[in-house]
Amino acid sequence: MSKISVTGLRKSFGSNEVLKGLDVEILEGEVVCVIGPSGSGKSTFLRCLNKLDELSAGTVIVDGFNLGDKTVDLNEVRQHIGMVFQHFNLFPHMTVLQNIMLAPVELKKESTADARTTALKLLDRVGLADKATARPAQLSGGQKQRVAIARSLAVNPDIMLFDEATSALDPEMVGEVLQVIRDLAAEGMTMVVVTHEMGFAREVADRVIFMADGVIVEEGTPAELFGNPQQARTQDFLSKVL
Amino acid sequence: MRKITEFRSGKLAVAVTALLALAGGFVGISAAAASQPQAQPNTAVTGETYIIGTDTTFAPFEYRKDGELTGIDMDLIRDIAKNQGFTVEIKSLGFDAALQALQSNQVDGVIAGMSITDERKLIFDFSDPYFDSGVQMAVAEDNTKITGYADLAGETVVAKRGSEGETFANSIKDEYGFTVKALADSATMYDDVKAGNSVAVFDDYPVLAYGISQNNGLKSVTEKEQGSSYGFAVNKGQNPELLAAFNTGLAELKSNGEYQAILDSYLEQPAPVAASGFFGLLSDSLPALMKGLGLTLLATALSIVIALVLGVLFGFFKVSESRVLRGIASVYVSIFRGTPLLVQAFFFYFGLPQLTGQSIDVLTAGVLTLSLNAGAYMTEIVRGGIQSVDPGQTEAGRSLGLGYVTTMRRVVLPQAVKIMTPSFINQFVMTLKDTSLLAVIGFAELTYQGQQIYAANFRTGETLLIVAALYFIVINLLTMLSNKLDKRFNK
Ligand SMILES: Nc1ncnc2c1ncn2[C@@H]1O[C@H](COP(=O)(O)OP(=O)(O)O)[C@@H](O)[C@H]1O
Ligand SMILES: [Mg+2]
Repeated sequence: MSKISVTGLRKSFGSNEVLKGLDVEILEGEVVCVIGPSGSGKSTFLRCLNKLDELSAGTVIVDGFNLGDKTVDLNEVRQHIGMVFQHFNLFPHMTVLQNIMLAPVELKKESTADARTTALKLLDRVGLADKATARPAQLSGGQKQRVAIARSLAVNPDIMLFDEATSALDPEMVGEVLQVIRDLAAEGMTMVVVTHEMGFAREVADRVIFMADGVIVEEGTPAELFGNPQQARTQDFLSKVL
Repeated sequence: MRKITEFRSGKLAVAVTALLALAGGFVGISAAAASQPQAQPNTAVTGETYIIGTDTTFAPFEYRKDGELTGIDMDLIRDIAKNQGFTVEIKSLGFDAALQALQSNQVDGVIAGMSITDERKLIFDFSDPYFDSGVQMAVAEDNTKITGYADLAGETVVAKRGSEGETFANSIKDEYGFTVKALADSATMYDDVKAGNSVAVFDDYPVLAYGISQNNGLKSVTEKEQGSSYGFAVNKGQNPELLAAFNTGLAELKSNGEYQAILDSYLEQPAPVAASGFFGLLSDSLPALMKGLGLTLLATALSIVIALVLGVLFGFFKVSESRVLRGIASVYVSIFRGTPLLVQAFFFYFGLPQLTGQSIDVLTAGVLTLSLNAGAYMTEIVRGGIQSVDPGQTEAGRSLGLGYVTTMRRVVLPQAVKIMTPSFINQFVMTLKDTSLLAVIGFAELTYQGQQIYAANFRTGETLLIVAALYFIVINLLTMLSNKLDKRFNK
């Protein structure tokens, strides 16, 4: 069953067309990694999936919700899609626990007590049970990103979007974050992962999409795309990053 | 005598008068209803209360002594009122302000040592003259060189801007070869002479005589020149019964000797006072200054609270997605940041009543001015604060499914407030200092009280030092308190 269905997606900032007609189907439980050079539109693509950016043309259907439909409650849809940012975007004025509890409590999904229990469980799951009362400023980059993942999971999404979740991290912390994403994949979460970690993409992805200049140049299984790329631009890109 | 150059353009004055009369008549805000029967003056005014505008300080005609308005004009109008059986409520507005208030029917009459001139007769109806003035020249007490106009060659003298003194000085300056510098008020002129910036002052003789009796450090060296006469004025065609009662009362005071007694008490036998020391001045002036400080703080507090509300409202308009709301906020901000505070104060106090026919009290006008003005700056502070929060914070909130309002309230604003607080404190201090500008519309705050005091005792420097010290202490205490609160709540 298709969890995310994108057809003819275009996005322009002023006269600058950044996405030039994307067609993507993502199935339930599928892990799709998106790779490509900087500026090719990967982030913009992700942001169109939860409408942090307005669509210029085309349709995006997520979990059955047509995002182009004005009557669709975006706040409702967004609770189905967790998003993890390159720069974490934790709320600095709240503790780790408050960061995670904010959405469930404000959205009245859970009582404060239940939200607290859930938050502590999520923290345990990302290996940070002891950091509940810490402030974001007291955490390392890897810890921050794991809290951010726990925060996204707190509203119980069935799709997760990762936008270069490890790019801002020191190398020794990349592993701990990738491990959390790997675990989520193993649990069957539907995920779109924009990444520069080719090894990780090869290992975890069901499918890899290579984007350049706002178009999908090539896609396939990791074995196909990494092992036998068909397009010159893909080969060129991979030769630089591998 | 004073300000005879005002309304120089007769045509304009007539046009303005016509407009004002129209506005005034239209809404009928004059205290004396036009429908009142024309009876004998003394019965027509019996039991009535009239609002009389006057200058803030034009000693010995009007000035404050121990906080109370006193002077020749004050004694005259009060005694005439008593004699004729009506009541007066005196408003100490400043000379220009009093005339404007009279034109806009905010007051019923003006007595302010005002010369009867042809220009003014176009706009106002004058009583019989109650005082004959004239220009006199004075120099510093220790000056032995200047004893007459002939000694002024090559020197600079001061005169009050727009006054008969200025006109007279200008009329003889070529003959005697001196330069005339114009200043705004007597106390400043005397200080100028004492400081040696100019050698002599041309001022109205009663003013000079009074000042000298108060040890202002000057001495008069010429006889008074023949000058014009002072009259009590009502707006053209308004309050004829008040004018008639004034004339009748004046005549009675003249015949029963009371009039001469009043003049003598200010001009003939001024008891020279020995200057008290600085601490004497401090303890004498402190009660009035504290009253002023209270009003300063009241106006500041009211203005800041309203400005905060305006700032938050328009600040949100500014960051909203609606072009209309953003436009409204931008227009508001550019109007109040793009015009001087002083002009805004004049507009709200004098202009608005003329436009709407609703008179407005000085505290309301002052708070309106300050809050709208500070609100514009607050708007920019709020906008800047919100926009300085990393957009990633909003995106994180929205991506969790939180709505715009919730994201603002729980994520953006707590961070923005922390950023904004120092600017808020700054604006608070600015607004407190800006209250001093309201002195020009006669709001009796701290600066105004200070002006009143030194205009009567001529101790400008010491009085201003005390005033400045009070501002300094209060502002620094409030700043310290604000910073403490900031540290405590915005960790
Ligand atoms: N908010 C924006 N306004 C204008 N241009 C933007 C905006 N966001 C992204 N872009 C432009 O869109 C292009 C694609 O950006 P992005 O999606 O961030 O690429 P990637 O994530 O692949 O590096 C870039 O040229 C970038 O400058
Ligand atoms: Mg990107």
